[in-house]
Amino acid sequence: MYEGVVVLNEKDRELAIKTIMERGGDGVLRCIQCGACQSTCPMAFADFTLNPRKLIRLIQLGFLEEMIEDSSTWACQACNRCVEICPRNVKPFEIVFAYRRYQAMELAFSTSAVQSQMNLYMKGHAVFSEAYKETRQKVGLPPETPTAVSYPEALKEIQTLIENSPIMELGLF
Amino acid sequence: MKTMGLFLGCNIPLKLPDIEQSFRKALPELGIDLVDLEGASCCPSWGTLPSFDLPTWLAVSARNITLAEAKDVDVVTGCNSCFGILAETKHIIEHDEEYRKAVQEKLALINREYKGTSQVYHVLHALYKFVGPEKINEKIKYTLKQLTIAIQVGCHALWPSKVMAIKEPNPFFPTILKELCEALEADVPHYSRIEACCGMGGMRSTNMEKSLGLLKEKLISIKEEIDADMIVVGCSSCYLQMDGGQKILRDRGEIDFEIPVFYYTQLLALCMGFDPKQVAAINEIPREEIIARIQSEERLKEKQEG
Repeated sequence: MYEGVVVLNEKDRELAIKTIMERGGDGVLRCIQCGACQSTCPMAFADFTLNPRKLIRLIQLGFLEEMIEDSSTWACQACNRCVEICPRNVKPFEIVFAYRRYQAMELAFSTSAVQSQMNLYMKGHAVFSEAYKETRQKVGLPPETPTAVSYPEALKEIQTLIENSPIMELGLF
Repeated sequence: MKTMGLFLGCNIPLKLPDIEQSFRKALPELGIDLVDLEGASCCPSWGTLPSFDLPTWLAVSARNITLAEAKDVDVVTGCNSCFGILAETKHIIEHDEEYRKAVQEKLALINREYKGTSQVYHVLHALYKFVGPEKINEKIKYTLKQLTIAIQVGCHALWPSKVMAIKEPNPFFPTILKELCEALEADVPHYSRIEACCGMGGMRSTNMEKSLGLLKEKLISIKEEIDADMIVVGCSSCYLQMDGGQKILRDRGEIDFEIPVFYYTQLLALCMGFDPKQVAAINEIPREEIIARIQSEERLKEKQEG
């Protein structure tokens, strides 16, 4: 074997592509690595390890697990500039999020994701602030919001939807 | 008079209720009546269910949209994440038979059904379409003549344009917020990073320094190229970053200036004469001085025209 040569494995390739397609990244095979997404991506501007173009290439070559511990995908702003300009309708954002979903179900996500997920389940709001009633009154609004946190039956509906999902397997709640 | 369902989200009702108050004050006077969507939840934001399971995300979002359908109104929201999530959900459910079926099955668990009868609007889009710059100009009490605004629309009100009912002619050179600010008679020049991301959202929770790096570039671009009197945003997350993040950079000595920040409807409400203690009261970068300048005798529109 020549030094520096990477051997690609067809089975790894199939698994990587299937994993991403099943989780919403159905355009992955259309990518020709033109780099349009990278040219407009905030992740790339901020110099994260991964950007959509690089991630797509890794998946196309079958290196699904390679970057599982890399947190770059969680810095994706879901801004969709890449979806707007991609000339091949790859929808790169959807591939980044499909990879996140793969990472998440392998428990490779940050603690910040856990807190907002817990808030959503317990209060109906991912972002929550205990002091909200006082803040609202200060600007002349009623202390209670007309949202899920004030309606137990609404909260029950949200919990039912989450409880009937694969997320329960993660044991977060 | 148009009636719309006000979708609040999380940041606006719980952290920035002065923005909520600015909707409730300004919109009805401009001909948009607001009804509450009782029991609405988090949209759910990008870092939660959308990052874990696609059908569950769509179901929780679709539930929120059904609250508007039940009242026979369109949705209006001021949070860009909420707008992006709900508009994307509507687009997916209405264009993908498989996901639509999955969502209806999940909604059946809570005795709901997605009908697709309600449209989803960003508050800027609603103001632009249902009120328009001309009528806004008629309704203001104070003008912003000779004041310079740097606009920051926010990513999710621009891309992907395919999911939006109201589209910018070119989202990389946004004009809707520009026209809405010009309706207040301000100068709204172009600057090179006008469409650049502020760095909030998932990026800030993943890597604070990289996030503040993007913000710093943007702020310096605003300061050096157009020396703006204020930054006007169309997104509550951008507000938190441009105001709170700017304070961090200022305290560290990474920037040597301060530019006050407003959410668009806050500025609109101030120009209409509403009380700043209600509509523009929560900020890190001081706004008292610019607010006093805006709501001053010599800026009274009738005086200028008289």
